[in-house]
Amino acid sequence: MANHERAPIRWAFVAPTLILLIAFNVFPLVYNLVLAFTNAQLVGGTTRGIGGANFARVFAEPEFAGAVRLTALFVLLAVSIELVLGFAVALALRRDFRGKTVVMTALLVPMMLSPAVMGLFWNLILNGNYGILNQTLAALGLPQPEWLTVGALKFTSMLMIDVWMWTPFMILIALAGLNAIPPAIYEAAEIDRASAWTVFRRITLPLCAPLLGLAVLLRTTDALKQFDLVMAITGPNDENTQTLSTLLYQVTFRDGKIGLGSSFACVVLVIVIAVATVFTRYMERMQRRPA
Amino acid sequence: MKLARRLVIGAYLFAAMLPLVWMALSSFKTRDDAIRPHPNFVPAATASADPRAITFEATLENYTELADVHVGAQASFLEHLGNSLIVGLCSTLAAVALGTAAAYGFSRFEFAGKKDWLFFILSTRFMPPLAVVVPVLIMYRTLDLQGTHLGLILLYTVFNLSLAVWLMKGFIDEIPRAFEEAALVDGYSRLAAFRRIILPEARTGMAVTAVFCLISAWNEYGFAMTLNASGAITVPAYFAGLQGNIAGMPWPQIAAGALIFVAPIVLFTVLVRRHLLRGMTFGTIKQ
Repeated sequence: MANHERAPIRWAFVAPTLILLIAFNVFPLVYNLVLAFTNAQLVGGTTRGIGGANFARVFAEPEFAGAVRLTALFVLLAVSIELVLGFAVALALRRDFRGKTVVMTALLVPMMLSPAVMGLFWNLILNGNYGILNQTLAALGLPQPEWLTVGALKFTSMLMIDVWMWTPFMILIALAGLNAIPPAIYEAAEIDRASAWTVFRRITLPLCAPLLGLAVLLRTTDALKQFDLVMAITGPNDENTQTLSTLLYQVTFRDGKIGLGSSFACVVLVIVIAVATVFTRYMERMQRRPA
Repeated sequence: MKLARRLVIGAYLFAAMLPLVWMALSSFKTRDDAIRPHPNFVPAATASADPRAITFEATLENYTELADVHVGAQASFLEHLGNSLIVGLCSTLAAVALGTAAAYGFSRFEFAGKKDWLFFILSTRFMPPLAVVVPVLIMYRTLDLQGTHLGLILLYTVFNLSLAVWLMKGFIDEIPRAFEEAALVDGYSRLAAFRRIILPEARTGMAVTAVFCLISAWNEYGFAMTLNASGAITVPAYFAGLQGNIAGMPWPQIAAGALIFVAPIVLFTVLVRRHLLRGMTFGTIKQ
C-alpha cells in the first residue's frame, strides 16, 4: 500500500527538511574546510590560500592540547558524577510515596533551564563575599573557598553547575530503567537468599545498563560542546576552564582569525563526529531491541 | 532504610531547588540587600536597622525596572524578551511543521538510503554551534541576515529539525496505518489523508514536540551571541552581555528578569512531565 505512490510524492514530505539540513550543516562543513586553508580574518584583510599552515599551528599550539585535555577531563568528571549521583537518587525514588509526582517534577526542572542564564545567576550564589553558598558554609563552621577567583576552583564551579543541571537527566533515565525490571526477578532472588549487594550487582545494575549507556552517550555528546557555562563563569580565555568550544570562540571572534579558527573547527568536528558515530550506532542497536 | 531514602531525596531536592528559590528571593531585594555579606532571606515590610538581620525589605521595583534600559545596554529586558518570544515561537512552528511532514515520510514510505538519512538527521544535533558558525556568519553577511529575527528563526528551525523529526516519527509510527489506508481507498489523496487523518491523530505528539523545540530555542546561547551582536538579541545573550558592566551587575533586576524568563519553562516542564523521557532521548525511550 505504502509504495503505490509515485516517488515525487514520497520525497515531497522529506525533501524540505533534508535540503535545509544540508544547507545549514553540510555546506558549513565544506566551507569550513576551505577556510581552514586560508588566512581569512573576521574584519578586513585580503584572503589568500596559505596551504596547511593553519593545521600545523593547531597541532603546535599548546592551547589546543590544553583545551582537548580540559574538555576530556570535564566530560569524564561531569558525566561520571552525574551518573553515580543520578543513579543513587533514582534508587531512593524507586518506591512510591505521597507527592512523588510533585517531587519528581521539581527535581527534573534544572535540566530544562537555560545554561547561559542559570550559569550567570550562579555567579551570585558562588560569590566569595556575598554568595549564599559561602554564607551557608560559614554558618556551618566550614571553610569558604573563593569559587570564582581561584584557578582550580573555577573548573570546580563549572563542574558543580553542570552536575546541578544534568543529574536530573540521569535520574529520569535511571528511574525508567529501574521501573522496567520485572518484580518477579527480585522475588526469585529473595527465595535464593541473595544478599542486597548481590541483587544490586547481578540484577539491578546489569538490567539498567543499556538505558544508562544511552544516557551516558547523550550526556557525553552534549558535554563535549560545553560553552555556555564557561562563558558565564570565566569568559572564553581562562586556561582553567577553556574548553574546545570556547577556544574556538576566542580564536575566531576575539582574535578575529577565521582561517585558523576554521582549522581548529575541522579538528574539533572530527572528534565530535567520531563520538557521534559511536552514539548513532548505539541508538540503532537500542531501536532494534524489542520494546 | 526508609529514613536514609528520605534524607537522600530531601537533600537532593534542597540542592536542586536552592538556585531557583534564591532567584525568587533576590528578585524582591534592593541591590544592597542582594549583595550583603550576611545572609538575608526573610522578606519583610520594612528595612531592619541591624546589618546582620536575616530579613530584607521586599520591593517590587526590580520588576517595574525591567522596562528600563540598564546602563551600558542597548535595550530593555522586555525588548529582549520580545526577541526571544518571536524567535522561539516562529522557529518552533516551522520546525514542527517541517518535522511532522518529514516524520510522516520516514514513517510510511520506503526509499533509497532511508536509514542513513535518519541517522544523518540525528547527527546534525551533535554539531557544536561554535564549529559551524563561521560559514553561517559569512552566509548571513552576504544575505543581510545578521542581527535579524529571520536569521535566528531559520537557524533554530534547522537546529530543531533533528529533534522534531525523531520525536514525531515515534508518534506517527504509533498511529495505525489502517486509518489512512481506509481513507485512501475512499478516494482521499495522500495529502488529504495526511491532513485529515494523520494530523488530528498526531496532535499530542505535535504539542510535545513543540514544547521541546521551544525550550531548546529559548535557551540557545552560542549562535545567538555570535550572530546577533547588534539586533534581535535574545535574553540569554543579553544577560551574558551584562557581565563586566561598568555599573556592576544589577543582580536584583537580573533575578527578576531571569525568573520571568524561566517561569514558562517550569510551567512547560510540568505540562509535558509524562513525555520528558521521550523528549530528552529523541523518542528512543517511549513511556
